[in-house]
Amino acid sequence: MTDASPESFTNEIANAELLVTCGPGGVGKTTTAAALGVAAALAGRRVVVVTVDPARRLADALGLEAGAAADAPHRVTGIPGLSDSKSKKAKGANGELWALMLDAASTFDRLVHEQTANPKQASAILENPVYRAISGSLAGAQEYMAIERLHQLYTSGEWDLVIVDTPPSRHAIDLLEAPDRLIGFLGHPVYRALTVGQRAFAKVTNAAASMFLWAVRRLAGPQIVEDTVEFFRSLANIEPGLRKRAEEVSLLLRSDVASFIVVSSPRAEAIGEAEHLIGALRDGSFPFAGVVVNLIHPMPEPLTAADRVALDDLDDGPLADQVAWHDELTDLATAEREEIAGLADLAEDVVVVELPLLAVDVHDVDGLIGLADQLAAG
Amino acid sequence: MTDTGDLTDWLTSTRVAVVAGKGGVGSSTVAAAYALAAAREGANVLFVAVDGRPGMGPLLGGRELDSNDRILRKVKGAGQVRGRTIPADQAFGDYLELKGVGGMLRRAASAASLPMIAAATPGLEHLLVLGKIKELERERAADLIIVDAPPAGHAAPFLRSATGLSDVVQSGPVREQSVEVDEMLRDPARCRAMIVTLPEETPVTEALELGAELRADIGLALLPAVVNSCWPDRAGLDKTPAMAARSHKITLSSSAKAALASSTDFGRARLERQRSQIERLGQGIGVPLISLPRLATPRLTLHHLGELADALVAPMMEVS
Repeated sequence: MTDASPESFTNEIANAELLVTCGPGGVGKTTTAAALGVAAALAGRRVVVVTVDPARRLADALGLEAGAAADAPHRVTGIPGLSDSKSKKAKGANGELWALMLDAASTFDRLVHEQTANPKQASAILENPVYRAISGSLAGAQEYMAIERLHQLYTSGEWDLVIVDTPPSRHAIDLLEAPDRLIGFLGHPVYRALTVGQRAFAKVTNAAASMFLWAVRRLAGPQIVEDTVEFFRSLANIEPGLRKRAEEVSLLLRSDVASFIVVSSPRAEAIGEAEHLIGALRDGSFPFAGVVVNLIHPMPEPLTAADRVALDDLDDGPLADQVAWHDELTDLATAEREEIAGLADLAEDVVVVELPLLAVDVHDVDGLIGLADQLAAG
Repeated sequence: MTDTGDLTDWLTSTRVAVVAGKGGVGSSTVAAAYALAAAREGANVLFVAVDGRPGMGPLLGGRELDSNDRILRKVKGAGQVRGRTIPADQAFGDYLELKGVGGMLRRAASAASLPMIAAATPGLEHLLVLGKIKELERERAADLIIVDAPPAGHAAPFLRSATGLSDVVQSGPVREQSVEVDEMLRDPARCRAMIVTLPEETPVTEALELGAELRADIGLALLPAVVNSCWPDRAGLDKTPAMAARSHKITLSSSAKAALASSTDFGRARLERQRSQIERLGQGIGVPLISLPRLATPRLTLHHLGELADALVAPMMEVS
């Protein structure tokens, strides 16, 4: 093992109000987020876990089914030590775990409703074909919506702790810069020219904007031009609200109620991405609580020198298989520990929790409880 | 079903091979190994990285990929691997030029306003990249173009951009482009997909879903599917160390027994999982399976890539 001190996330589990797990794909990020939720609920807190695209079996374990209903918090049942009662208890009196699945499009819809002055204004945006097509795919929309949902849940005051599992991000920066990118989009000169002080399409006089419209019409046809202009116009009504919200979220994520946990595996590609992400968190002054290295291969007990001699030159057969496998697993486990040591050095004074690759995959509530124990106790 | 007669036939059975898998399954590495295996068979291969993941050029023996088409590696007496990225803004410029669009429209549609145009026509960036790949395929820029598709669940939206756009865009060059890309995706002689997964429950479930989606929604034919990072299936791990020693007529010391048990017990459990997941994939995916070994290193080199290329053309698994 590395020389990092014995570690756990006890402090975050007991005190954080916002936890964000981030990291590359395929390292058990969602499972880690869910296990942190279990640990905090067992510690007596009222917790909601926001997941993005969870694997089917994990979604089942959390009681989430695909579809619109999954976007609202669902009570997770079947965890010993937590009451399964649907009735709301006094905050903090008894631990509760809730979960939901992020739906970028319906989060955007909710944001539009919130930011518009009246239902008519809202439906002008919501029914626009361009909006319908892009609300789930606008630059950085999914990342932004994960953060937006976090803000909605945090400010509702209903939760002691909100945990958000982020979309896997190859370019780690995407998530953290999502609010800034949306502001950047709204500040684009062409967008501004289309929306500021213009009443009718015919009056678009700004050169960049008219060239833009001309280009879109030539490339994609006249229908989409009308829809686009109308969409941008109606979006202008909610722009100040979106801008203010993006700034609030940006402040909240850097405040001391928030904590970021980076999840990785010991594979070199994953470690490389985790290191990049740690750098980005530090550069952006986000509160970085620590690292979980998941899926570490166990180190076999070594063969003594005398045993080595006795096992030399075996003919093919089951024992030769076992010796070859012992050596192979030892090599892999050794190389992984070197990768982890490099990451632990980079992580400096933060928590580093190392979790073994288990003989079976974690998919159910029992597995989550086992993982929760390790995250809480180290 | 793909012909399994000749072990290398499938390598060049199509002109564009899109290699796709969820994040973390190693699909970029498999795409690189595929490029090397085809070059060894004499093919002139172009490796296209869609999202410009770092390290792929060096892994193939050349420099970091950029938008210039460069030779990464020549295989003595056989073919070569070239590599490049396709940035959406460049694909857009090339496309306008190809369509004879000049002057003011070119300027209006310059890289600076691409984000706006892309926002107005969702899926456009993906379509531009696919469109560029289609142009390369038409000009026969290579015997085989291997596309390292975007990871993490984005492979299907990427490929679906051609059909998805037709809902919003009803006329103009963007529509023409989406029709032409759609034609390429539906023709197995021109384009097929290789699905990459791991021998674990969740990745196998996702591979089965991706396979069904690519075939049904996009009409894309599949190459053999790849199960990456398989443990070598050592039958000897099914026994305890003491039983194994008896068949070698050896008696183990108690320290050797304990040491071997510490690796064998873990290996046996993982192997059982692996066998059952490979069986489940084979029954559901409808194409032959190729298993690639899990390499005993967390850091891949050119040498390891060669091992993976060897394994790609080894006999495939029987599909029940």
